[in-house]
Amino acid sequence: MSTPLISIENLCVEIKTNRGLLQAIRGVSFDIDSGDSIGIVGESGSGKSITLKAVLGLLPNNAHVSSGKIFFAGRDISKLEKKARRALLSETAGMIFQDAIAALNPVITVGNQIAEVPRYRLGQSASQSRQSALKLIEQVGISDAESRFDLYPHQLSGGLRQRIAIAIALSGSPKILFCDEPTTALDVTIQAQVLRLLLELRKNSGLGIVFVTHDLAVVNEICDEIKVMYAGRFVESGSVDSTFNNPTHPYTYSLLKAAPDPDASVHRLFSISGEAPNLSEPVVGCPFAPRCFAGDAHCLTAEPELLKIARSESACFKSKDHDMWAASDSKSGVK
Amino acid sequence: MKSLKTLYIGAGILGALVLAAIFAPLITSYDPTEQDLLQTLSGPTGAHWLGTDALGRDVFSRLIYGARVDLTIGVLAVLLPFIIGVSLGLMTGWFGGKFDSSVMRVVDTVIAFPFYVLAIALVFIFGPGVKSIVVAITLVGWVAYCRIVRANVLVAKELDYIHAARLTGLPTSRILRRHMLPNVISQAIVFSMSDIVLSILAIVSLGYLGLGVPIPTAEWGSMIQEGQPYILQQWWLATIPGFMVVIVGFALSLIGDGLVSRLER
Repeated sequence: MSTPLISIENLCVEIKTNRGLLQAIRGVSFDIDSGDSIGIVGESGSGKSITLKAVLGLLPNNAHVSSGKIFFAGRDISKLEKKARRALLSETAGMIFQDAIAALNPVITVGNQIAEVPRYRLGQSASQSRQSALKLIEQVGISDAESRFDLYPHQLSGGLRQRIAIAIALSGSPKILFCDEPTTALDVTIQAQVLRLLLELRKNSGLGIVFVTHDLAVVNEICDEIKVMYAGRFVESGSVDSTFNNPTHPYTYSLLKAAPDPDASVHRLFSISGEAPNLSEPVVGCPFAPRCFAGDAHCLTAEPELLKIARSESACFKSKDHDMWAASDSKSGVK
Repeated sequence: MKSLKTLYIGAGILGALVLAAIFAPLITSYDPTEQDLLQTLSGPTGAHWLGTDALGRDVFSRLIYGARVDLTIGVLAVLLPFIIGVSLGLMTGWFGGKFDSSVMRVVDTVIAFPFYVLAIALVFIFGPGVKSIVVAITLVGWVAYCRIVRANVLVAKELDYIHAARLTGLPTSRILRRHMLPNVISQAIVFSMSDIVLSILAIVSLGYLGLGVPIPTAEWGSMIQEGQPYILQQWWLATIPGFMVVIVGFALSLIGDGLVSRLER
């Protein structure tokens, strides 16, 4: 097997808070290659955004990678010089953010923002970089690129802004695009357009996509692989098809159940009771155990590892019994 | 639109003063340093609108020529600290680490050091004059800009568009100049308006102490000092130069207030 473009091994991130050290990420491993599309889902505070920031070297000052390794094209980036690391990072990865208006510089026209990388990193001339920018604007599906070039971010609609942000992310022709909830701030029709654009980019140029979201429907639409994150770890990982049809972790099961179903005759929304554990204290036992319907006394004593179960990986002692949950659920209902 | 009004009124007052200073020879026919010992302390007359001082010099023309000196040094003594402070603030905020903490310790030291003691010491070294004043104010003034810009950089550093720029692999100098600077400089610009007032006040104070611009050059601070003995007979000799400082301060604060609401969203 060839070396994956990005490989993350047992990544741990600590955040300094005024209530002590917070174990935000507690051992996360995965590979990303071109053409992959991986969805990372989880509730707020589960560590999905921090994972992206850690991989891309954008952690805030109060956070740091405490252990684990990140390889870009087989090279450990912590061992590289700052300059080489940035070069390798920007060749490999691009990122788009949840709030496009915050991701665009308010005082520079969008065209010039897109043209910056061709001009100042790839060393093109002013007119060449303008052409590159116009091409990118067209590539992200904006018509009339010439007249949009000289607009400022605040003069554009939300959907156009996100497209411009995507164009900027693509301007260095990265191989992997990291998306941090890029459609959450958009309305549903615009959301669909942006997702379609990402799918096209993936199909046409073999772009790899890592998509962080809490929206399972979005993952279902554009990802092949799903990783469910809880309390700073992956609790389930597998193909979208098998995971959605046959979840092997009670948390995934509950998440899917909590998603509103437009066809359901009963319109009472299911919710997972309790709250996520406080990660500034050491985790004892399975972090999901206090909220879990399938757990027993054993779950409170040891933390399960992510192990292969059927076609997915699952971090649960009870995942062997996952077929029974659905069966018992239809009879008694999950509490 | 109220902010625009204050901006325009302030700019109008200051503009009028600047024009008066530039075209001083056209406004008044008297040389500000020419003595007329037959007509000392004349009081306001048709020929001398604000009278003459103890050496028979025309007070009105000294006032206008004084504006030249005080406004020039005032702006100069803010420009240098502005450039130094903003660049250091950008770099300390961005790079952090040892560089940041050592610069910040220097800042603490400067803030703790009494300004006039430093200014007087410098005047003793370089002798009284424009150079000493500008050097003294620069040595002290940059810290405010450094702190303002550094604080803004620390906030802006975590903004998504800075993250995006970093991730696209743009050179650091480019990120700082093009993405960071325009978004963190507005507070420093607003502050510089009130800082000009402070530096003019410092020049006038030094002039009053006899440590400023050497006599006989017309300058508001030395005019106040020279007018002081006659405060009971001819109060305007010492009061009107002080009033000029107030007007400049007023105009600059209006400009500053207008800029705040124009530049800060």
